[in-house]
Amino acid sequence: MSEELSDSELVAAFKGGDAEALGLLMERHKAAVYGYLLRLTGRADAADDLFQEVFLKLVKNPSAYGEREKLKAWLFTVARNAAMDYFRKEGSRGEVPLEGYDGQPGPADFMASAEPGPAEAFYGKARGARIDAALAALSEDQREVFYLRHYSELSFREIAEQLSLPIGTVLARMSRAAALLRKNLEKDQQ
Amino acid sequence: MNCGYGEKLILYFYGEAVESLKADVEGHLSGCAVCRGELAALKAAESRLNLSAAGPSAAVLEAVMSAARAAVTGRRGFSFNWGEALLSGALASLMAVGFIFSGRGAPADLAWNSGVDSGLDSVEYSMYQAQSDMASVSSDWEYKYSALEDEGLRAGIQDEG
Repeated sequence: MSEELSDSELVAAFKGGDAEALGLLMERHKAAVYGYLLRLTGRADAADDLFQEVFLKLVKNPSAYGEREKLKAWLFTVARNAAMDYFRKEGSRGEVPLEGYDGQPGPADFMASAEPGPAEAFYGKARGARIDAALAALSEDQREVFYLRHYSELSFREIAEQLSLPIGTVLARMSRAAALLRKNLEKDQQ
Repeated sequence: MNCGYGEKLILYFYGEAVESLKADVEGHLSGCAVCRGELAALKAAESRLNLSAAGPSAAVLEAVMSAARAAVTGRRGFSFNWGEALLSGALASLMAVGFIFSGRGAPADLAWNSGVDSGLDSVEYSMYQAQSDMASVSSDWEYKYSALEDEGLRAGIQDEG
């Protein structure tokens, strides 16, 4: 099966009985969906569980995905809802530091590439930790929009539709996030 | 200080600004250190997120694929095919007709009251009538033959006398 098929075509192939089409879809979106869940929850085990929940929903009921919308938008809606349920059960919301609690491994330990890329070499590990801290200092609403924009690559208009918010609100949250990131990163440099 | 370019800067950074807005922001950036700082902060944060090379565990991927294969197998088991359904119906009808005419399978009281049984009774009655007619004709012929024999016998006796 060609990997050039669109998401809708792969979903149709899966509905028609081709299990491998689901594998291609998962391969195509796993980095973005998992990265988003890992950043939201701050825990690798929780991100694993939620990732499985998202794709099992597609497996069990592929018709739940309305073909008029982008599959990616649907996946992130399901992922966000799953994460919200997780936070309700856990009684917290993305408060786990990326470095982990009490010397335990945190998400940052699972995120760093084995081979540092040019950006990592440039910023250095300490710089990375400062950026993680600056991201963690954003409000929940700001983080939600920021991570959704980064991982889903949906437009702000699409994000506004997904969150049922006016686009102005979404842009205002992003603007405040940028201002706070600048403030915290410049403070660290002083 | 709020220069009023916060949201415009966001659209510019993420490539969603139309050409005129893009030119406007680029013109503004040269004179606004705050916006340049925000742009740098956004770049740093995006670069940091791009470094995330982690993915779900192999066990999770395999669990989803196992469920996908099971779901596909399940859907195949319950699939409905009009062609197959019509063919099955036609074959079942043929078998039912053959079964009825073979005289087997129907209970005695059902056969008694059925049209088939009535038809068979008519045939049987006709045959019985034909046999009766033949027997009657045969009896007539035997009677006539016997009468002729008697006449012949009486004539022979008279000639001898």
